[in-house]
Amino acid sequence: MPARVVDVSDLRVTFERRGQPVHALRGVSLRIEPGEIVGLVGESGSGKTVLSLSLLGLLRGEPAPKVSGTARVMGVDMVSAPAAQRRRLLNTQLGAVFQNPMTSLNPTMSVGRQLLEASGSTDESVRLLEAVGVPNPQSRLASYPHEFSGGQLQRIMIAMAIAGNPSLVVADEPSTALDVTVQMQILELLASLRDHLGCSFLLVTHDLGVASEIADRIAVLYAGKLLESRHSQAMLNEPAHPYSIGLLQSRLSLSSSRERPLMSLPGEPPDPRLPPSGCPFAPRCELRIEDCEARMPEPAELTDGGMSACIRLQEAATYRTEYELPPPWAEGAVSEDVVVRLNGVTKTFKTRKGWSHQEIQALQGISLEVRRGEAVALVGESGCGKSTLLRVVSGLLERDGGELALAEDLDPQMVFQDALASLTPWLSVQELVGERLRGRGKSKTEARRMVIDALQRVGLTEELMTAKPRQLSGGQAQRVALARAIVAPPGLLLADEPTSALDVSLGAVVLNLIGELRRELSLTVMFVTHDLAAARVVADRIAVIRSGEIVEIGRADDVISAPEHAYTETLLASVPGQGPPIQ
Amino acid sequence: MTASDTGTTRLASPGERLLGSLRRLRLSDGLSLATLAVLVLVAIAAPVVAPHSATAPSGIPLTPPSGSAWLGTDEVGRDILSRLIFGLRLSLVGAVLVIASGVIIGSIMGLVAGAVGGWVDMLLMRLTDVFLALPAPVLAIAVVAALGPSFTNTLLAVSIVWWPWYARIVRGEVTAIGARPHVDAAKLAGVGRLRLWSRHLLPGAGPSVLVVASLDVGYLVLILAGLSFLGLGAPAPAPELGAMAAQGLRFLLSKWWVPVFPGIAVAALAYTANLAGDALRDLMGDR
Amino acid sequence: MAVLILRRLLAMVVVLLVLTAVIFLLRQVTPANPARVALGPQASIGAVEEYSRELGLDQPLVVQYFTYLNDIAHGDFQVSVRTRRAVSEDLAAFVPATLELALYGIMFAALGGLVLGVVSAARWRGSGVVRNVMLVGASVPSFLLAFGLILVMSRNLGWLPGTGRSSLPDMPSGPTQLLTVDAILHGRLDAFWNALRHLILPSATIGLASAVAIGRVLRSSLHASLDSDYVRTARAKGLAERLVLRRHALRNASGPAMTMAGLQLGLMFAGVVIVEQIFAWPGIGWYTAQSIPTNDFAAIAAVTLILGSLYVIVNTAVDIAQMLADPRIRR
Repeated sequence: MPARVVDVSDLRVTFERRGQPVHALRGVSLRIEPGEIVGLVGESGSGKTVLSLSLLGLLRGEPAPKVSGTARVMGVDMVSAPAAQRRRLLNTQLGAVFQNPMTSLNPTMSVGRQLLEASGSTDESVRLLEAVGVPNPQSRLASYPHEFSGGQLQRIMIAMAIAGNPSLVVADEPSTALDVTVQMQILELLASLRDHLGCSFLLVTHDLGVASEIADRIAVLYAGKLLESRHSQAMLNEPAHPYSIGLLQSRLSLSSSRERPLMSLPGEPPDPRLPPSGCPFAPRCELRIEDCEARMPEPAELTDGGMSACIRLQEAATYRTEYELPPPWAEGAVSEDVVVRLNGVTKTFKTRKGWSHQEIQALQGISLEVRRGEAVALVGESGCGKSTLLRVVSGLLERDGGELALAEDLDPQMVFQDALASLTPWLSVQELVGERLRGRGKSKTEARRMVIDALQRVGLTEELMTAKPRQLSGGQAQRVALARAIVAPPGLLLADEPTSALDVSLGAVVLNLIGELRRELSLTVMFVTHDLAAARVVADRIAVIRSGEIVEIGRADDVISAPEHAYTETLLASVPGQGPPIQ
Repeated sequence: MTASDTGTTRLASPGERLLGSLRRLRLSDGLSLATLAVLVLVAIAAPVVAPHSATAPSGIPLTPPSGSAWLGTDEVGRDILSRLIFGLRLSLVGAVLVIASGVIIGSIMGLVAGAVGGWVDMLLMRLTDVFLALPAPVLAIAVVAALGPSFTNTLLAVSIVWWPWYARIVRGEVTAIGARPHVDAAKLAGVGRLRLWSRHLLPGAGPSVLVVASLDVGYLVLILAGLSFLGLGAPAPAPELGAMAAQGLRFLLSKWWVPVFPGIAVAALAYTANLAGDALRDLMGDR
Repeated sequence: MAVLILRRLLAMVVVLLVLTAVIFLLRQVTPANPARVALGPQASIGAVEEYSRELGLDQPLVVQYFTYLNDIAHGDFQVSVRTRRAVSEDLAAFVPATLELALYGIMFAALGGLVLGVVSAARWRGSGVVRNVMLVGASVPSFLLAFGLILVMSRNLGWLPGTGRSSLPDMPSGPTQLLTVDAILHGRLDAFWNALRHLILPSATIGLASAVAIGRVLRSSLHASLDSDYVRTARAKGLAERLVLRRHALRNASGPAMTMAGLQLGLMFAGVVIVEQIFAWPGIGWYTAQSIPTNDFAAIAAVTLILGSLYVIVNTAVDIAQMLADPRIRR
């Protein structure tokens, strides 16, 4: 058995999109030892998925991507070996688990037949399903994918991946598409499989918290470069690279400070079409010197055997402990008058299946009062009715029963999870933001002035006025959506998972922005999220919702530190990254 | 590291964007668009470009292709090339008129159905479904046969069976766009219904309608030629390509150029239209 | 499941009713008076009026429509002006030839579509050429293709006959009226071969455009399915590309191609009008082409009804077959 399961050396992958080269990986080297779980952490566009596909030999593209360097798995270079050899390795030594189990299984083939392709015999299929915890495996073989839940499907994917006792399983965001309470079960399954089978795992994720749950070692990828690689404990306790430090600081946890804005990384990652020749993080780094931008720093070996590609290691070590905290929030004023009052609000959706009507009770008697200037978070898993509640309050959806009373002139505005989709694609930023000023008796120049003010308030410049939504980055799109909401300050801001589609560092920025706007413009906020950590930071009060009912509501700190309902405890236990506290 | 940082990226100017999309246009695509443009120009300038009259004899009947008549003459002695040039014109005009009526009627129906929803949507879409479930070419034959063969009636017949496609497309796009959060955002921003429809819904259907319409040009050229071949188009001696091929059918084995050249003209027009449509789709596709 | 099929069948009935209504209305629009047509130009005005009343032409439209429905339900499609025979008799004589042609045409189209779709979807050097050939195929009018095939294969090379269904004087006549089938039933290989040779050119003409249409749909759905997550999973198992294509990609991509094949079979019945005329094929297309110049609307209306109904029924059958094949609907 070769000493190394994975040996990636100076791997470079360049795609061509619209005639322009997109540099996805720019010289990455990575090793994985037998039985090791390596967490590969990076934000969207960092190249982490390209690296995992390279290891599987599944890089595709039209035209074919340019690849140099090697990506050896058990001694076979998966980017240059003959197809037959790569297939043999995939068959015997490699397993793969992908992000979305609902689309990753063939919808027209029974689960048993799909498993058989990997396992070779029905008996083995049954054994594998047992190993991953699918109940009644024998009888489920004839079922089709649509008859399973997402979590069950991901277990089946994992069963296929571990068929034939592979040396390496590549798991690309295996828990991201699943509900929060299921996420942790999947991660635990992966860790236990490593203990039983002794195979290595490459766990690709955008979330340091997820990686820290089960990984032995964490590698941080940024703009196609590996910036730091450390043992998990060392990475969490004393990150060496300024980017890792920033990521950890901006990571939301149940102990993040509520008194002041979250630490956040300024700016956004570089354009992969024009990557900088120096350190890719330099433009966002507080510690940068001229040399940083001149050339990419060589990876420096650390005393604990880790690696950090930074020439400012000393300064970073100091910065890690002695950084400046953002100034605390000004005291917000919550008045006593209630501006939103719900009393026993119900909503039922009717769907038709053939001739039989089905009813889904989205809201089963919600009662809630929100006071002027208050921020209330509605927390729950997908399908619990939290977004429906928000839409009923906004007036976009009619309630079926109960009472809903809004204060006059509340003019509720909403920001959405998919900010880009909430902006009309063919209108300019100026038109989109200015649209709310129509019919308010504003002159053209006056309206223009107000649009510019709003853009500046959310941290955008006037230049963006003529931009169309698709020219905006994800962070910019959410800022424009916020600018539209506050160009004429609303009495009530409704936020529907505004950060869950954003990378960690951008999410912190948007949460800060909402906190800032809320206090400066004295907005009332209703904030929907699946993430208790985000809810705790944003809100004064948290309402936990399950199956269309509020199961617990209270002051944010109380709900987090002393949950009264068992379901709240389950949700709390599912927040990843609660291992050892971050210093 | 503060709460609000500007994440500015440099924006491409409109000029740069135009250049960018032109660069993405492959040589072959450019060529096909140019050929279509030439054909359209020839059709517009037919009276100037055609060497002879389209309806009056200009030489000895059934002359093979030669220097004086490049594509030969027909059984009456009319110059086939000149008839083809005028026939091109009729074909293009016909296709464009049918598409225009289809786009207009279909867009209105589709927008109303998709935007209003409820029973209006139900009713309009059941209507289009029924029309779509019927074979368009067969119905067109019956309609023209009932109304009496003429160019106008042919266009009328084909238009009647054509608009449901566009209604379906526009309705589909409008419903899909209507489900996007940007429509909710616009509603909350206090946008009125008319403005919501015209500024936030309908423009989204534009690209797909344009692509389908451009791909339809070739298809319609073929359908109209087929109807005309069956004697359902303009009465003789109008220079309709399909009718010319049908009338030349009896000379197929002896004087092949009489029926074959009109067929080639139809194929050439349909081919360039299809190529141009494909090019347009690719261009729109990766916007 | 049963409910879905029932709904689909109900929709089919509605469409068929609309089809009859459309044809009925078109019949009202035609300038020709059926009584005048039946009695001939010499009949007196009084006789025509008398006969009009007898036909029920003075009744309200709705009543006339139900009379019409009743008539066609009993196979009465009125009398053809041209042949002076009941249209139903004419149809009985001409339909089998068209059915046989369409049958071979759709086989050609399905096979050709499968090959074109798979070959053009794969990434290889020649796929661009194939795509261009398909584009040409989609642009050639059927009459030009027929001309070309007759000139080259029949006149110049003399390989295949260019007119008629057979050239044998003693063609066996059997229960199906489909010459190739009847020939086999009578054990006449020579007759089968003769009929088949006559079928090749017209069925290729009628099938080419459909083959291209099916191939284009199959190509795009294959592309989508080859880019899908489940195909990536199949590849990650180390399956050979051939198996990935056959077991995973093709199976999921076949739905849209099947639908297109159904549509094309229906459209083929419209295409026969042109193709049968050129190949002198004695089917309902040829019959229609003869009826158009003589303004024989009774014949055209009957053919439209038959062809339209076939189209509707075939597409419904394809839809239901797909429902039965899809595990997500089946259970």
